[in-house]
Amino acid sequence: MGKLPPSMRGAQFPVVVKSQQLPAAKPYYPAKIRNKLKPRITNCPPPPTPSIRFPSPHLSDAISIFNSLVSSNNSPPTLKFYNSILHSFSCIASPDDSISLMNHMFKAASSSSSFTPDRSTYHILLAHSASSLESIRHSLNLMISQGGFSPDKVTTDIAIRALCSSSSQLEEAVQLIKELSLKHSPPDSYTYNFLIKQLCRNRSLTTVHSFINDMKDAFGVKPDLVTYTILIDNVCNTKNLREATRLLGVLSDQGFKPDSYVYNTIMKGYCMLSQGSEVLKVYKKMEEEGVKPDIVTFNTLIYGLSKSGRVKYAKKFLAIMTEAGHFPDAVTYTSLMNGMCREGNALGALNLLVEMEQKGCTPNSCTYNTLLHGLCKARLLDKGIELFRVMKAGNMKLETGSYGTFLRALCRNGRVAEAYQVFDYAVESKSLTDISAYATLEATLKWLKKAKEQGLVV
Amino acid sequence: MLPPRMKMAITENPKKLANLIDLVNLPTPLRDFLGQSQISRLGCFMRVWSYIKTNNLQDPNNKNIVNCDEKLKSILLGKPQIELLELPVLIKLHFPKEPK
Repeated sequence: MGKLPPSMRGAQFPVVVKSQQLPAAKPYYPAKIRNKLKPRITNCPPPPTPSIRFPSPHLSDAISIFNSLVSSNNSPPTLKFYNSILHSFSCIASPDDSISLMNHMFKAASSSSSFTPDRSTYHILLAHSASSLESIRHSLNLMISQGGFSPDKVTTDIAIRALCSSSSQLEEAVQLIKELSLKHSPPDSYTYNFLIKQLCRNRSLTTVHSFINDMKDAFGVKPDLVTYTILIDNVCNTKNLREATRLLGVLSDQGFKPDSYVYNTIMKGYCMLSQGSEVLKVYKKMEEEGVKPDIVTFNTLIYGLSKSGRVKYAKKFLAIMTEAGHFPDAVTYTSLMNGMCREGNALGALNLLVEMEQKGCTPNSCTYNTLLHGLCKARLLDKGIELFRVMKAGNMKLETGSYGTFLRALCRNGRVAEAYQVFDYAVESKSLTDISAYATLEATLKWLKKAKEQGLVV
Repeated sequence: MLPPRMKMAITENPKKLANLIDLVNLPTPLRDFLGQSQISRLGCFMRVWSYIKTNNLQDPNNKNIVNCDEKLKSILLGKPQIELLELPVLIKLHFPKEPK
């Protein structure tokens, strides 16, 4: 085999990225946040009774539809009815039109039945006035002056989330949250943490810290354990473990006891650096501190150990986690397979697939991609092709790395036509964009041609 | 959203991708074949490849080889037979690098 052109060398172990996101996906959003989110959503309800789809975002059409709906209804419309209509319309229309529709409802209703917009009516308007800070302000003013409601914590939350729907308006969101805290009430921890998470993702660390300091000094809003988890996660993602350790110290100084989410996040950080022994140290520390490891902990641990070449050690934890009452899932097995494939033991990984299916655990597309990649690397092309058939039958998507490896393996064995079929499948199943699928194919064929000319491949 | 590798490829090498997806004014033989006057290199490849598939032009004994019909011959240097391997290269010939 000839030397790989540099364009191909990058395409290694895509699986790594995927499976590390899986165990990590949980830490930042403890269940408590989700619970809290639900009642908020009911505040601006998805249309319950009459679910109407407005065909056009024009105000005049909406008004006529609304009028016909009211006249066809015998019983006087309820507040829920008004709100759901407003909700469906504001999903597609501009904020100004939504406000006009509400005003129209107001006028139309005063003759027959009463329509007094309640807090949630204004929240609907607020949630859909995402386009700019001005429209949010406008909705807020309307709520205060017309409705006589003073913005509460829920209002703040909705307004901030609406503003944050595009990352370009984070500065406005910061400004708004300070304004609302000054005039009405400071945000609750959910809004606060949400904004911090957005800032962490899209702005520099300095911005985040100055926001935290401002909020602490001006309104006494202090970061809590979730905030610290978000901050630690952010620095771990940039592989800055020293800062993470420092934050862990700060957190303890503030009187918080790190929970499993914090430890999982730090563990993930070490996984990214492939430092198996450090990962293990975190696990031991958890045991010492009496923090109970959860399934994410075990998955991260097994992933980290596999990644740093300690598959045997990782396998031991399969038994330990089962004892602790957590059953290995697709992520666990995929991490292990990944480790085995790295060691060149693709057949062992294939056997693990059988074992996992026997235990009633369904493999996902990531599992298959890992295996495909491993089999092709280990020059077990026939098994790889077999596996690909299964993937095709299950409509599973190919990942960039396994796609590239598979193509190269096929071409190396002179099966160009089959490589074209794989290309077709990648395009059809929308696994990759046409461009990247083609770019890989072209590069592979170019490389093959060169290798043929040099007599390296027959 | 673009996958991260794609994004990297674009930011690292915008020209390489541009010559794949930019629309190009076509020379006459290609114009007759495709029935349109502008296409990107990627689009052109897709059209030719699907033409091969729909007309069953792959050699039944060796799928890696394409037996060109008259129409296909006209755009692929008049070769009676081509290998699938060289298809991208042959198509690229119609899309010369623009002089700087």
